[in-house]
Amino acid sequence: MSTQTISSPALGQKAVAGDRRSLSRFLSFILLGALGLTMLLSLGWGAADQTDVLAALTGTGSVRDQIIVWDIRMPRMLTGVLVGAALAVSGAVMQGLFRNPLADPGLVGVSAGAGFGAVAAIVLGGYLPVAVIALVGNYLVPFAAFLGSWATTLLLYGIATRGGRTSVATMLLAGIALGALTGALTGLIVYYATDDQLRDLTFWGMGSVAGASWAKFTASAPLIILTLIAAPFLARALNALALGEAAASHLGIDVQKMKRIAILTVAGSVGASVAVTGGIGFVGIVVPHLLRLVQGPDHRGLLVNAALLGAVTLLLADAISRSVIAPAELPIGIVTAALGGPFFLWILLKNRNLVEM
Amino acid sequence: MELIAKDIHVKLGRKEILHGVDFTARAGQLTAIVGPNGSGKTTLLRALTGELPYKGSVVMNGHDCARIKPHQLAMMRAVLPQAANLAFPFTVLEVVRLGLTAGLASDTPDMSDRLPLQALARVGLAGFEGRHFHDLSGGEKQRVQLARVLVQIWEPMLEGQPRWLFLDEPVSALDIGHQLVVMQLARDYAAAGGGVIAVMHDLNLTAMFADQVTLMDAGAIRATGTPDQVLTNERLSAAYHCQLQVNTLPPLGGAWILPQAAEAG
Repeated sequence: MSTQTISSPALGQKAVAGDRRSLSRFLSFILLGALGLTMLLSLGWGAADQTDVLAALTGTGSVRDQIIVWDIRMPRMLTGVLVGAALAVSGAVMQGLFRNPLADPGLVGVSAGAGFGAVAAIVLGGYLPVAVIALVGNYLVPFAAFLGSWATTLLLYGIATRGGRTSVATMLLAGIALGALTGALTGLIVYYATDDQLRDLTFWGMGSVAGASWAKFTASAPLIILTLIAAPFLARALNALALGEAAASHLGIDVQKMKRIAILTVAGSVGASVAVTGGIGFVGIVVPHLLRLVQGPDHRGLLVNAALLGAVTLLLADAISRSVIAPAELPIGIVTAALGGPFFLWILLKNRNLVEM
Repeated sequence: MELIAKDIHVKLGRKEILHGVDFTARAGQLTAIVGPNGSGKTTLLRALTGELPYKGSVVMNGHDCARIKPHQLAMMRAVLPQAANLAFPFTVLEVVRLGLTAGLASDTPDMSDRLPLQALARVGLAGFEGRHFHDLSGGEKQRVQLARVLVQIWEPMLEGQPRWLFLDEPVSALDIGHQLVVMQLARDYAAAGGGVIAVMHDLNLTAMFADQVTLMDAGAIRATGTPDQVLTNERLSAAYHCQLQVNTLPPLGGAWILPQAAEAG
């Protein structure tokens, strides 16, 4: 017998070796608790903190405290939760779709595509007919970002996948090319931006939840929530896809339909989150990878826990970004890149065989 | 009940691999497809399972396979691939449980927990459920995949209809003991009413276990019939382009095929 037998801790039921479902459920509870704690932490975390958060939450605090908690910290915290969840889930779905642990929306140009869409909407949105602007309102930027990430994902999948097989090298290289291309187009549009728009773009481009507001939150939240609800329904199909497209189809999965939904899900969550916070890297690759190490790759538990751990991770990264050079703030994208970059290199070294083909 | 394929043409790129193949397999039988490398055996199997686009028709239990939805088809037949690479580090149990994706005929939580373990025991891998799939040997991986395929269509008959097991070189990576385990398993599945279609390299195992043999060469079927009818000196030597000597094994009466060394000087 192997020394590497994997099993779940017995949680009141007899666990079969190799069955990690109860471990995954156990982890969900822990992460749910951790999320609750970090949400409270995030509300209470301020630069010069005299705020009585609980009083403000229950409506008995001072007007100043209530404004700080309800109008500044609350949308920021909720944005962090949704964007963190969206980034981690889109990473996990994309890795399942490409059958590769190195696929990440930030690395392969999907976020850049979303950024292009968002910038184009911010700068060129004013040229749209008034009726259209009135119709889409705040949703213009998230929707444009969604279209940008959708187009990039479709293009990337078309280039990197042939006959159901994804070449990792092609995927990463095509991702770099697409990222550069959309980056160039974005730069071109920025050139035409007005001063006001430029300030908007600079702030946004660094990847930050500091600019979160109720208006931005409510514009992006519906799309993110929709994709977060849709993602777990892909789990069974993504599991089967791990065996390859043919085997998945023999198991009864409508592979083409499932791929379309997966691409829409990735594009929706990446587009909507980039629209609020700009590109925040590495959450989408680090969170699913850590979870796979602990609970295994079964997407049914993975997608749920990725949402929870992604939210926790982003709130913690936000807390770090607020405290390192307090009272000033680092953009959160710098924090996730500083922590995620080395982690990604570690994954890369461990998975050398995946890349060297 | 039968599987009937008519006038199957398959093109890979610009090259036509199968030139109008007619193929029939009966439920309750093990039908082996043999032939040299590149003869189109696997291509035929992949057309029959819908993995490759084809011209012609494949009718299974009276249903046109091209018109059945994937999840309905998955209840009627399962396919063991030649080799499978797995994208993520699943455990053996998790891989076998993937066979439950299509849903069970009698889907109770108890059944779906027990069946994967039963299937692992059936392929001689009891106790392997906690291992990582990636850590297994090639032969063990192939048997794990077979267990997964078995879980998908565990009962050979469903509502009076036979279910079909497609095996692409099921024993190519196995030692001789496990070759017999797997071939016997395929025989038992057919004996219980299911249909088994296997692409085979080993002519002796084919002679021992198959009810029907289809001999292919150059994208066409050269002969179809019982092992005795198909596995003859002339047919095999012509198809495989080498001298083969077919003997009769006294105790069993089955064919026993030996290669003859090329005539020296």
